[in-house]
Amino acid sequence: MAAPISKMPLEGIRVADFSWVSAGPRATRILGNFGAEVIKIESAKRMDLNRGRPPFVAGKKGINVSGLFNNINCDKLSVTLDLRNPKGCEIARRIVAISDIVIDNFNPGVMDRMGLGYDALTEVRPDIIVISMPVMGKTGPRSQYGGYGMGIEAISGLKYISGFPDKMPLGTGIAYPDSGPNPRHAMVAALAALHYRNKTGKGQFIELAQYESSICFTGAAVLEYTANGTVQGSWGGRLPNAAPHGAYRCRGDDQWCVIAVFTDQEWESFTKAIGSPPWTGQSKFNTLLGRKHNEDELDRLVESWTIQKDARKVMEILQSAGVAAGVIQSGKDLLEDDLQMKARGHFVQVEHPEAGSQTVDAVRIKLTSTPGKLRRPAPLLGEHNEYVLKELLSISDDEYDSLLIDGIIC
Amino acid sequence: MTTQDSEAALQDIRVLDLTNEMGVYCTKLLADLGADVIRIESFKGDQVRCRGPFFQDNVDSELSLFHFHFNANKRSITLNLENEDGQDIFRKLVKTTDVVVETFPPGYLAELGLDYASLNRINSGLILASITGFGQDGPYSKYKAPDIVGVAMGGLMYMGGFPDEPPFYPGGFQGYHLASTDAAIGILIALHYRELTGEGQQVDVSMEESVSEAIEYATVLWDLRKVIRKRTGRHVFRDWNEIFPCKDGYIMCSPLGGAGWEAILAWMDNEGMAADLKEPLYQQVLKVMAWGQMDPAALLPDIDTDMLRKNPQIIEHIEEVWQAFLMTHTREELYKGCQERNVRLMPINCAKDIVEDPQLVVREFLVDVEHPELGTTLKYPGGPYRLSGTPWKIRRRPPLIGEHNSVIYEKELGLSKQELAILKAGGGI
Repeated sequence: MAAPISKMPLEGIRVADFSWVSAGPRATRILGNFGAEVIKIESAKRMDLNRGRPPFVAGKKGINVSGLFNNINCDKLSVTLDLRNPKGCEIARRIVAISDIVIDNFNPGVMDRMGLGYDALTEVRPDIIVISMPVMGKTGPRSQYGGYGMGIEAISGLKYISGFPDKMPLGTGIAYPDSGPNPRHAMVAALAALHYRNKTGKGQFIELAQYESSICFTGAAVLEYTANGTVQGSWGGRLPNAAPHGAYRCRGDDQWCVIAVFTDQEWESFTKAIGSPPWTGQSKFNTLLGRKHNEDELDRLVESWTIQKDARKVMEILQSAGVAAGVIQSGKDLLEDDLQMKARGHFVQVEHPEAGSQTVDAVRIKLTSTPGKLRRPAPLLGEHNEYVLKELLSISDDEYDSLLIDGIIC
Repeated sequence: MTTQDSEAALQDIRVLDLTNEMGVYCTKLLADLGADVIRIESFKGDQVRCRGPFFQDNVDSELSLFHFHFNANKRSITLNLENEDGQDIFRKLVKTTDVVVETFPPGYLAELGLDYASLNRINSGLILASITGFGQDGPYSKYKAPDIVGVAMGGLMYMGGFPDEPPFYPGGFQGYHLASTDAAIGILIALHYRELTGEGQQVDVSMEESVSEAIEYATVLWDLRKVIRKRTGRHVFRDWNEIFPCKDGYIMCSPLGGAGWEAILAWMDNEGMAADLKEPLYQQVLKVMAWGQMDPAALLPDIDTDMLRKNPQIIEHIEEVWQAFLMTHTREELYKGCQERNVRLMPINCAKDIVEDPQLVVREFLVDVEHPELGTTLKYPGGPYRLSGTPWKIRRRPPLIGEHNSVIYEKELGLSKQELAILKAGGGI
């Protein structure tokens, strides 16, 4: 079911991708899915750390079989250049010269020291769009402070507002900024800059401080503090305009369903859907205010119904009655039991030359006439050295061989 | 970075904004990059304005801080899409519009005769972005999906919390933010394609799918290893805790900072807090634990972590000593002390800490937005990115209900005052 190639909306856009681990690679994958040629620049000496991170294909070891890496690096090419060697940087600059977008997520100064800072790159490609994703930003007294996704979740305020008021602020439990806000914001900025370049011919430099970008996913929390002096705490699953609203234990081992009732009409539908047990007739539950005043009791009573049912059944019963509900799905649930994900074709099998068959995310943003397509599995380390250096950069066979011997290609 | 007359990346783009809370961040992203975003509201104002918190806790549809935050830079008109005259006006607006963003249940716009095919006949370059819980098609597409349903079904909620307690509901409407940001990406890709071909199209974003790619590797782990990734409390993906209380709050850091443990141990020792961690056994264990910090030189070492699994009391002891040290320091002392020793400890910040952070103060992250009606200037959080040529910027405070009716209906669409009065009486506006 290959879409005609002319329908790849980003065809003709080339990306020199110096980013590694998660926030950068998850961003450039989207560009690749929609037809951009993404060239991942790494090296055997300094490879993408995710090549070494689990989960691995069972029974296999090595730098090309991380399931995590191989999911988020589909639709990219890999070249290996020693960027600690000036000659390697020179070749990287030549890749930039034929690229439209450059991305990195190093600490400030790293790209500059390699001669790959924005000013240097505009010399080889005046209209280049460069997006740099340092953790703290290029400037400021703490620009050299560093952190990983989970730490960024901590400092950005996301952890503080997630959980229960009387519990330790654990947050999402994952390196959420790396897969949530930061790669997505990076793509919004890069694509907006591309739009501007299409109109004016001008490129530009984009700085995305991952700390700041992640703060932007805390909604009105900052404004609430500056305007009212109020520190938003964690919600404990509840919202001021809904009750019941939260996670309810269902039948089975660690099975949960969320339920969200906003209006009194939804409350009525809810009570009917669960068979109008006597407790639902108490007038104190008739209005939102009443339900909010008696929320602890309400939650226990709601759970006395959900605990008897499978989580999926709870969802189906309530959604059929027009009440918002959803299974708290695990990775297994998403892959195996979720009919919607199947119907939407969210997951797709890819064959990877070393790792074998793997189920990966397809293209999550659906564009009706240019849907994009997952075209190739994640690259082996250095898989496209010859293509990029010889075909794109017209490096001769002899020069290529000497680059190999000198360890510039490594 | 910001100058008064700076260019904006999307200043040539007009957006009609029909979104509720689920999509209001998408149009914020576009508006803050310069797009002319026109919110279409009912004459009472839309539901986003009912969401708290409210300015100085005064509950009023012109005082919602939630509305302020998400709707700055936008304009507002009132229009009734369920009225035929209202629909006609909407069609007129579509002629000069690049993007429509909506969050209605699938099929609703078709009932009004305003589905993509109909709108495309008016403006073939139009991009219609539809943000819903589950997408435009499929068996769950009609399901109701407030944020909590999105983060539950998308698999994010399953990851957070203590193993023996209910999963955490992440704060801040993460499902809405993820879906909105994906919609903005889809719109910008569609705009790029339109620039090449002149063709518009529909962008279909499912919050569930948007969330499902923000859960790290939970689906991969099941696919490859048939292991369900569970919530693990203070552990993250290692065999030891990484979230600890300290003197005045909480911090996030592996015990002794992983790869930088020697410098931290020296710091602890200097303050008489190292206990027996200088003994060879603990030094050996700390070395193994450092592997978890992903030191490039140690990538793929063949370290057998079974030794630690078989002797959990060793790690427990290290955690106890680390914990005792942490309790003698504030978050700020630990943050500075560790980062200066190249250890990536981070404090768990609340909004107040962010507002006061010297890093953000120097970078002028907060921006002033004048609210003449309130007689004050409010400090808004800045943008997620800084574009050197076309800065992110808040150019105007959020609109009052229908504030731009006159300029848009009279000046831009050329309706007369009489026509406007009739439309108002008839319920169109």
